[in-house]
Amino acid sequence: MEILVQLIINGLLLGGAFAIISIGLTLIFGLVRVINFAHGEFLMIGMYMVYFLNLEFGWHPYVSALPVALALFIIGAVMQRYIIQPLLSAPADIQIFATVGVSIALLNLALLVFGADVRPVVVEVGTGSVGVGGYTIGIGQWVTFITAIVLVGALHLFLTRTHLGRAFRAVAQQRDAAALMGVNVNRIYILAFGVGSACVGLAAGLLSTQYPVFPTVGTYFILAAFVVVVLGGMGSMYGALFGALIIGLVDSLSGYYFAPDLKEVAYFSIFILILIFRPTGLFGLGRGSE
Amino acid sequence: MRFLAKYCASACAGAIIALGAMGPSQAADLKIGALYPFSGGLALLGDESFRGAEMAVAERNAAGGVNGQQIKLFKADAVDANQAVGEARRLTSVDNVAAIFGSYSSSISFAATQVAELAGVPYFELGAISDEITSRGYKNVYRSNPTAKDFSEASLDALVKIIGPALKIEPKDFRIAIIYEDGLYGTTVSGFQKKRAKELGLNVVESLPYSAKAVDLSSLILRLKGAKADVVLQTSYQTDTILYFKQAKAAGFTPKAVIGVGGGYSLLDTAKALGSTMDGAFDIDFPQYATNEAGAPGMSAFVEAYKKRYGTAPRSGHSLANYVGAQAFLDILANAKSTDKDKIRAAVMAYEKPVGTTATGWGFKFNEAGQNERVTLYLAQWQGGKLITVGPEKAAVAPPIFPK
Repeated sequence: MEILVQLIINGLLLGGAFAIISIGLTLIFGLVRVINFAHGEFLMIGMYMVYFLNLEFGWHPYVSALPVALALFIIGAVMQRYIIQPLLSAPADIQIFATVGVSIALLNLALLVFGADVRPVVVEVGTGSVGVGGYTIGIGQWVTFITAIVLVGALHLFLTRTHLGRAFRAVAQQRDAAALMGVNVNRIYILAFGVGSACVGLAAGLLSTQYPVFPTVGTYFILAAFVVVVLGGMGSMYGALFGALIIGLVDSLSGYYFAPDLKEVAYFSIFILILIFRPTGLFGLGRGSE
Repeated sequence: MRFLAKYCASACAGAIIALGAMGPSQAADLKIGALYPFSGGLALLGDESFRGAEMAVAERNAAGGVNGQQIKLFKADAVDANQAVGEARRLTSVDNVAAIFGSYSSSISFAATQVAELAGVPYFELGAISDEITSRGYKNVYRSNPTAKDFSEASLDALVKIIGPALKIEPKDFRIAIIYEDGLYGTTVSGFQKKRAKELGLNVVESLPYSAKAVDLSSLILRLKGAKADVVLQTSYQTDTILYFKQAKAAGFTPKAVIGVGGGYSLLDTAKALGSTMDGAFDIDFPQYATNEAGAPGMSAFVEAYKKRYGTAPRSGHSLANYVGAQAFLDILANAKSTDKDKIRAAVMAYEKPVGTTATGWGFKFNEAGQNERVTLYLAQWQGGKLITVGPEKAAVAPPIFPK
């Protein structure tokens, strides 16, 4: 029983990490309708930035999370404006090729510039664990989990209570009608891509206390992120949060009760079942935005 | 008419240039391919391994080359088995290399050697450990380094002969957990470990594969805790080693001994990432730089030369292993006095050096399958952020330390 509770705790906390990465991905997909295959590499770029800010200036990853999020906002916006925007009327395959191309280019550029070395950010705060009632809770994981929930809440408020947020939702629901209503769709796309990328910049800061950075680090998370996004419903932030928690739990429980190497079998099986029985995902409204 | 004249003129010019390029005859370079993972996830150790071969070649070229020929290395980047096949084909049929050095990764080597064997080009494996590479009945694949079987057996022998006595525990009383990454490397090594453990009558309580790309091993660690494992044998790459140690510490899992078999356990970067968390971890590995010179003559000279050439200390023992292997194969190529594969094979079979005469402590004697049988493996331990040889006694620099 004790082990089960610990497994559940571990699973939920792991879900927090997946959530914070998936939120940005689902936002971009929900609004711009582009699957950003370079999302993992944006995480990698964010983590390198956090690493170097720590190395040069001694900034703690939690401190550099905000500037890095801002930097990634700009990178995401630039990618949307100069790479995706020209391809918006092209078939979806072409857009996918473009993002996959960016992903490969960034990964190998990082390998070229930084080398394959695994670089850890060594800090005190945000590492280690506490014992609560006989169970262990990782501090870094706990911070990530709480931040994921706060982020979803903040984005929800942004989307429902602000004028810009309303524009986002309008574009997600019906692009042409929104344009007719005077919304500058291209500008919204740029901002949305930026916000989605900023979320993964925040993730970079939070995850840097737990994982070292190396050029392929994005690939370790991205497949799970895609499963989460599809499971939760593409475009739904609550979907991303709950999907992530579910996947985290599956990861933890199947790792213990089946075998650690069959974890992916478990959650990809769920992925396939969702695609068969509920392709729009748990919270998806087909073309919904939140 | 004018067209014809122009055509003739350029044809003549071309012929003159071609004749000029043939030039005064000079010994053509000896072309050797270097097939390693230079990019992708294995790039760090692939590059480190290549550096060893590169140094051996540079040293040899400075000393006059092989029978008067300067050696030219043709780098080939193979991230995975598919690319390995493509690159091996390019080396053998486009670049026409006389031989290939490689490859650090067993799956890359396995694929590339098939191509080389079919093309009749000798393949000198300097670092990959999967036994299958030299047990397919191939005639032109040779390997200088120990195999997974050697490593695996050494890890259990070390537990029985060095660690058990030091802890004053009967080996049969250990509760052993074998955890490994689920690729060719992990499955091969753990397979031999399980076999050897059975031969020695040891108690293996858990055997758990996991994906090297896992972002969470906490459920695996809970399993180990549940099974009350007190010895962990791990076969892992770098990121999973870091993840395991971090999460084991967080979960409060402290077995009496953790023994790695190369991979992530060999790397200085792993120790830097983990700090004191890694102290006490054992590693069966290619010879380490902190080894008694009595067991490995020439090791410090290698380290000095490496620092001079690359500006840092060696990042792992792979460069040394590749260096010693490449040196031996260059000797063999010189002895063969030819790039004919049969003459090279004869030279390989005839080449002999006693154990303890090279910078890794290895000797050389190749069996029919092309595998070097005079390999030695030492037990090392991370102490104070350094990997130190702790056994057997002749090679030891310090005794093993255990958590209180």
